Amino acid sequence: MPNRRQWQSRILAAFVAALFLAHGATPLSNDRVRALGNMLHCKCGCHASVTECNMLQCHFSDPVRQELLTMVEAGRSNDDILDTMVGKHGKDVLRKPPAEGFYMLSYAMPYVGLAAGLALIGLLLRFYLRRRPAAALAAGEASPELNRYQAQIDKDLSDLDS
Amino acid sequence: METLGALAILVAFCLAIYSVVASVVGAMTKRPYLTVSGQRAVYGVFALLTVASGILVYALMTSDFRFAYVAARSNLAMPAVYKFAAWWGGQEGSLLLWSWLLSFYSAVVLLTNRRKLRDMMPWVTAILMFTQVFFLTLNAFVEPPFQMLAVGRGITAVADGQGLNPLLQYWTMAIHPPTLYLGYVGFIVPFAFAMGSLITKQPGDAWIATTRRWTLITWGCQSAGVLLGAGWAYAVLGWGGYWGWDPVENASLLPWLTATAFLHSVMMQEKKGMMKVWNMVLVSATFFLCIFGTFLTRSGIVSSVHAFAQSSLGGWFLGFLGITITMTVILIVRRLDYLKSETHLESVLSRESSFLFNNLILLASTFAVLWGTMFPVLTEWVMGEKITVGAPFFNKVNIPIGLFLLFLTGVGPLIAWRRSSWESLRRAFYWPAIMFAVAVAISLAMGSRHFYASMSFGLCAFVTATILMEFYKGSRAIAGKSEMNMVRAAIELTHRNTRRYGGYLVHMGIVIMFIGFSGAAFNKDTTREVVVGDRFTMGGYEFHVDKITDGDNPNYTWQHAEVGVYKNGALLQVLKPERRVYLVTEQPTSEVSIRRRLNEDVYLNFAGMSTTEEHKAIIQAYIFPLVSWIWVGSAVLMFGTFVCLIPSKARLSYPRTEVVEAYAEQKTVAK
Repeated sequence: MPNRRQWQSRILAAFVAALFLAHGATPLSNDRVRALGNMLHCKCGCHASVTECNMLQCHFSDPVRQELLTMVEAGRSNDDILDTMVGKHGKDVLRKPPAEGFYMLSYAMPYVGLAAGLALIGLLLRFYLRRRPAAALAAGEASPELNRYQAQIDKDLSDLDS
Repeated sequence: METLGALAILVAFCLAIYSVVASVVGAMTKRPYLTVSGQRAVYGVFALLTVASGILVYALMTSDFRFAYVAARSNLAMPAVYKFAAWWGGQEGSLLLWSWLLSFYSAVVLLTNRRKLRDMMPWVTAILMFTQVFFLTLNAFVEPPFQMLAVGRGITAVADGQGLNPLLQYWTMAIHPPTLYLGYVGFIVPFAFAMGSLITKQPGDAWIATTRRWTLITWGCQSAGVLLGAGWAYAVLGWGGYWGWDPVENASLLPWLTATAFLHSVMMQEKKGMMKVWNMVLVSATFFLCIFGTFLTRSGIVSSVHAFAQSSLGGWFLGFLGITITMTVILIVRRLDYLKSETHLESVLSRESSFLFNNLILLASTFAVLWGTMFPVLTEWVMGEKITVGAPFFNKVNIPIGLFLLFLTGVGPLIAWRRSSWESLRRAFYWPAIMFAVAVAISLAMGSRHFYASMSFGLCAFVTATILMEFYKGSRAIAGKSEMNMVRAAIELTHRNTRRYGGYLVHMGIVIMFIGFSGAAFNKDTTREVVVGDRFTMGGYEFHVDKITDGDNPNYTWQHAEVGVYKNGALLQVLKPERRVYLVTEQPTSEVSIRRRLNEDVYLNFAGMSTTEEHKAIIQAYIFPLVSWIWVGSAVLMFGTFVCLIPSKARLSYPRTEVVEAYAEQKTVAK
């Protein structure tokens, strides 16, 4: 008959096994590993994330997933884990540029371009709209008939064409 | 045979040079026989390149492994369709396809315009053939497709080839690259016409009327190519992604975005005589981005899963780009007087302004994608270290821009030309705004806590409302006058102005695709190690692993699972994901199994056998809500493009210059 201590050991082993099976044995069955893996770039040449890499026995993704699982199970924070990965594999392991220094340009420039475009449109509108009243007034005074035609053109355009 | 192929390319190269010289000299010295001779040379180039391409395809289909290209891209076990697809599976073959398509387009352009635009056509021919000379230089001297495997003194063949990349052995891959190339190459035609009009100072906008249809066809091909690629990625790569923001994917998007901007802004030139310089810039930018995209794919400057092997082509492409950009800028600057607008903006609240904003957002998106794609190169240059710019970056930057663009898609039709009053805007926006609010409310009520997804659903409802209102107003008017029912009236309405209502259908396709994109915010997935008899649940589905088998054939070995998908105890479908390892390349691929429905796809991937536990298979299960809407939207977009190409039943709009000229003629007669 197993003694009390042996029973405790067996129950604990069964519990761990159940937990293990429920959780799945692969690192990717851990949600945090999947999320972290999605932030990391697989360097095997597949150009997918560490989570998405589909290569059989990938020399990069497989060990990295295992490392991620080990660090997650050790209770380390996401930032800490990502810092460790950058230290080990370089900055290009991250799937987006770090938000610091020169790399901030990557995020800023598209919006700077957009703002510059908006400013340009603003200037254009201002330029034309300042010129318009005088020109329109002159045209209106000169030819009421033209105004009638302009109104007809507006109506035709709005009725018939985009 | 190989000598004939190489000779055909070489003679085509010489003929293309002759065509450039004869066209330019003929146009400058006003010798029509010379220009006609230059044009005939174009047909010769097409015939010769057809012969060269035919020889390469024949070698591929007959597995003639004496050819280095055939040995590297094909093998005996490959099905015939993929042997044919190997034509564009490698650098040399795909460059030959480029050249052949360009010669085909050139021949069609000359054939369809042989009695039109006589002053301009020699220049159009010269520009088309100048580009052809560049590509034929690559075909003849840099990446020749007819290199033979030489061993010892003679030419010999290997027993079997290395085969096409297994990832490319999928049905959409047989049509995706040529469709995309039809787009890439086709954008040269509008550019050639634009430059021809500048050189000859064409009166009016005749070149626009001629090239608009070309632009639309090539835009349609580019759209189809991009979407087929997305479909391929979804079904082949094994993780359900349809767009990975890979540099080569981005390269195909860039000219599409500028061409989309052109298709909108060209209306301003036709109807209002505005934005002439801008349209020149857009047509040119689209062409340059096509060449730039080809440079990205083939130079190895950025690393990509789609790129060809690193080669010496980069310098050639940069040189060609440098020459053409310089010549274009000089030409546009020297013709600025000729490109002056005939009218100006009159109000911020006008259709013209909305087109300006539409162009700005499309250009901002182009810049954001280009910037992100090239940023790793810039970083390496400035900081001396590599970084990766992947999907998280592009999503962060482009999603807000994309949503704003969607908003403008809805706003455009609501605003009148020249100027709108606040009162008319209030009336026009009333129902779309209500639809927006209702859609956002429904999205929140259904548990969405994703800001962008909720906004996207709202904007989709907003744009749908504007499009439906446009159809309703027009159809009701026709139905009232002609006693037709509303459906018949809507068809009649579309037929009367195919360009306008076809355009709305294209917008509707985009809206439907955005609904599909938004579903990605709610994706679910799990990875399990399973044996036969195991069960697991996800997203309301229960998965029963019924069978795991393996086997092989001459092309690959496979492992195969049969998984029953249940909901509320009822069997919905048995999914059969498979894992293959191709024997020659030793490359694994996933044959995913998908249960496609409009509300969500259930997607299973056989990721391989467990390395930690014997007999256990790794199954990845995904639920992708609304993803099928992307493919439905793609079909609607293509249908809309097709409708735009059908001639309208009643010609309601006339090129502005035609009207002006007709008016001038009337005045002259009256005097």
